[in-house]
Amino acid sequence: MKKISPFWIVVVAVIIAGLVFTSTVKNEYYFNAAYVVLQALLMAVAWNVLGGFTGYVNFGSAGFFAVGAYTAIALDKAFGLPLPLLILASGTVCGLIGLALGYLTLRLKGVYFAIATLAMAIVFETLVVNWAYVGGAKGAYILTPDSHLWFDSYIQMLFMVMLLLALAAIAVSRYLNSSRLGRGLAAIRDDEVAAECAGVPTLRLKLISATVMGVMMGVAGAPYPFFVTFVDPVSAFNLFIAVNSIAMPMIGGTAHWIGPVIGALLVGSLQEIITVTVSSELNILFVGLMLVGFITLAPQGIVGLVRKFRGRKP
Amino acid sequence: MVGSAPRSLLRTLSIALASAAFAGSAAAAAPLKIGFSMALTGGLAGAGKAALIAMEIWRDDVNKKGGLLGRQVEFVYYDDATQPAKVPGIYTKLLNVDKVDLVVSSYGTNEIAPAMPIVMRKKLVFPSLFGLAVNDQFKYNRYFQIMPAGPEPKVDWSRGFFDLAAEQKPKPKTVAIVAADAEFPINAAAGARKNAQRHGFKVVYDKTYPPSTTDYTPIVRAIEATKPDLVYVASYPPDSVGMVKAAHEVGLKAKMFGGGMVGLQFAAIQKNLGPLLNNVINYDFWVPESTLDFPGVKEFLARYQEEAKGKGVDPLGHYLPPFAYAYLQVLEQSVNSVKSLDQAKLAAHMHKTTFDTVVGKVKFGSNGEWAKTRVLMVQFRDVQPDNLEQFAGPGKRIVLYPKNWKSGDIVFPYKQ
Repeated sequence: MKKISPFWIVVVAVIIAGLVFTSTVKNEYYFNAAYVVLQALLMAVAWNVLGGFTGYVNFGSAGFFAVGAYTAIALDKAFGLPLPLLILASGTVCGLIGLALGYLTLRLKGVYFAIATLAMAIVFETLVVNWAYVGGAKGAYILTPDSHLWFDSYIQMLFMVMLLLALAAIAVSRYLNSSRLGRGLAAIRDDEVAAECAGVPTLRLKLISATVMGVMMGVAGAPYPFFVTFVDPVSAFNLFIAVNSIAMPMIGGTAHWIGPVIGALLVGSLQEIITVTVSSELNILFVGLMLVGFITLAPQGIVGLVRKFRGRKP
Repeated sequence: MVGSAPRSLLRTLSIALASAAFAGSAAAAAPLKIGFSMALTGGLAGAGKAALIAMEIWRDDVNKKGGLLGRQVEFVYYDDATQPAKVPGIYTKLLNVDKVDLVVSSYGTNEIAPAMPIVMRKKLVFPSLFGLAVNDQFKYNRYFQIMPAGPEPKVDWSRGFFDLAAEQKPKPKTVAIVAADAEFPINAAAGARKNAQRHGFKVVYDKTYPPSTTDYTPIVRAIEATKPDLVYVASYPPDSVGMVKAAHEVGLKAKMFGGGMVGLQFAAIQKNLGPLLNNVINYDFWVPESTLDFPGVKEFLARYQEEAKGKGVDPLGHYLPPFAYAYLQVLEQSVNSVKSLDQAKLAAHMHKTTFDTVVGKVKFGSNGEWAKTRVLMVQFRDVQPDNLEQFAGPGKRIVLYPKNWKSGDIVFPYKQ
């Protein structure tokens, strides 16, 4: 009999813990805070698929996130679709945008690619600002639906949805990292020309990686309108979303799938704690300082530090 | 038994005193907590910090008077960093962890709306600070918004500008409407279109521009090319400055210019633009004219101006701070009248009562907006260059509309 990997045991344990959490804890604050952390985690894992594994730095994460959110708003308004279908639709739309972004890698590399992703986010923001159906520049209200399955409140359900999405993203990221495909991506990151010469189908792998990233960011954005109830382009395309999605994997470590998970849990939780204890102002300073600290002192992130500590090569 | 009566009286008195002291210490031990989120960093921080100063002045005033329901008032607040995504978490924490007794809103539409579902689930009264038509969507009957936009916020905002224009002789015929691509300006422009239609003005220019625009002369030139009699501008502070400067550079020949420009109410921008502001007609909510000298407002502003020194906020504080003080006065007067924190009773009281506040008499309509609009149309006059102090007193922003608050006559047509 094939041995079950401890990873899946942990995944099942986390799902059960999540369900127990929703049925025992009544304090909604913890679900709100956990939702924000999990959303950041999903974004970080998504960014890492292209940024960490493949080495293509994407500054347009907020663009994908917002397109996911706005796809959900548009379809909710047009057809009143249930949340799972909205998530599916947002994932598909952002996956296709990711695929298009993948083709950009044919011509653009390094800093030029990063600038192109940033420009892409601005293009999408301009489109949304001028699209009156989804509220345009004045924003859109999404009223929280009354039904929330068997959960006590809507936020509990959103938390559980985000938990499942985050776990699914981690599972995909882990698969990509440890499979033959992941080794291909690592080869591209290290030297794309050499990888191509060695027979790695670089374009196909980059397309897969960019699409997966798009899908993940899209599904992260889909439940957001139901979480905040009012979305306007300024908040949905907020640069802070993009900065967090880069900072978290950088701090956690980009080469391994666990890196962004650790980074997001650490930075995300600390951000939530600092917001309600010290101030949000320090929050931004804190992320900045951590990022500078890690980039200069531990460029491989926490994962790199642990490996070094264990005496293994990073 | 002689002397027993005084002795028993003494005993009763001492028990009464002791219990009063005990009650006093119990009250000290259980302050009344008011929770809110506020934009103390990020885009709206300047206004958010000013609002907080005003709110703290109110808290100190109330506590000096013995607090609310005999309990000292304490604030529990967190910075939402002008990020709507932070607001739901903050309000759930306030209600479920900090267990605040009352909540009030943050500043601005984007920060108020995300709190609504949480506040609504708990059925709390929600005094709110400067949200534009938030309740159009939620239709929550315990929402009370202090900005005097009026029962139809989007339309009432520009009603005065167009009513004034319609009274002029010869009556203007054409209007240009220009707005930034952002939440408030788009709503204000939509209202302006309705008012223009109501008075039969022909709209000859109706466009939006991206908020990141830096050079406004092409926009003003395009407007000038259509030769409008009126120019209605709906803008946020940076673009308001840009539009006023561009109007001068291009030599705009419209007969009325202004309307919905946010920022021209702030002392720093007034000082910066100086005489360029002369004869611009723009909305405002409170100005230091004799017609708006409500009881307490001058004393409040004097204290605010003292507190605001060196904090990087509006030094005069005419725009937001009096309203940030007033929305808590509404809460205070309601709690004192109802004598409990029963949210249903508080809401019922807020619906039926006319409140006396530092911003005048406040009466809420059924949708939680002011029952009657008090969006002022003021005209800048005799503004001197580089002088902040001139705006502290009357004579620089003449109230033209509504009639009840009028402090002078219009200069028409607009002359630069």
